[in-house]
Amino acid sequence: MFKNILVPTDGSAMSRRALGRAVRLAKEQKARITGLWVGPVWQPTLYAYDESVPAGFISPRQFAASIRKIAARQLGAARKAAAAAGVPCRVVSVQNNFPHMEIVKAARRHRCDLIVMASHGRRGISRLLLGSQTSMVLAYATVPVMVCR
Amino acid sequence: MFRNILVPTDGSPLSRRAIKQAVRFAKEQKARVTGLYVAPPYKQGVIEDAAILNFVSPRQYEASVRATARKHLKAIETAAAAAGVPCQTLHAVSDFPYDEIVRAARRKKCDLIYMASHGRRGISKLLLGSQTSKVLALSTIPVIVCR
Repeated sequence: MFKNILVPTDGSAMSRRALGRAVRLAKEQKARITGLWVGPVWQPTLYAYDESVPAGFISPRQFAASIRKIAARQLGAARKAAAAAGVPCRVVSVQNNFPHMEIVKAARRHRCDLIVMASHGRRGISRLLLGSQTSMVLAYATVPVMVCR
Repeated sequence: MFRNILVPTDGSPLSRRAIKQAVRFAKEQKARVTGLYVAPPYKQGVIEDAAILNFVSPRQYEASVRATARKHLKAIETAAAAAGVPCQTLHAVSDFPYDEIVRAARRKKCDLIYMASHGRRGISKLLLGSQTSKVLALSTIPVIVCR
């Protein structure tokens, strides 16, 4: 029934659990896995003095390099889990300050028919509150969403 | 991976779609389907002269709940029978359907809840139904929200 499962990850423990479930489900359903990681966008900072570069300044290039590194690490986990189960997998990393938009867009672009995600990742503060991105995805998604607890 | 799928229904068109998907999914997973309908409890209104006309006794109310439950659960049973999926249905009476849904999932040892994003009360695509969001908050098992 499900042929292509989108698994957005933020590297949190909860999203790793969701990944495990998604891979198991994909194996049973003979489906593919599409791993997605959404990173933040580089943001310029305003300086009071333009003679010196403030401490902790990161150039766009440095930022891009670190984003690449983090994406490779987070998506490596997805790729490894899929490979271990023998599930075909492709990984995508994009940058956007609003991850839920990218998740919904990726589901459409890669023709995913199910989104498997954790009830909250890094930002959900309690069991009773859904994570911000999860609730936004639930609002905007056009395909079924499996929320893992 | 999933052995017993709980499908709560309120008889709305969206929940009928969820039923269809859930049964298909259960067939592939070789799982059982547990249908659930939750009805509001009997409420005794203040009786005025005019209200006497449409007075409903607790017994009449119970009968009508049973009839409604049978009607809505029948949809699950027929869908499951058509797909050859083992099916069990139950109905409960509660003011808080989400509570009954979570409880039924625990009692019947379901490992997945398959429900619509909103049934009768969600007002738009952007808002999740009240019961769905509460089930998402309280459930200890995965929930598939079907759109």
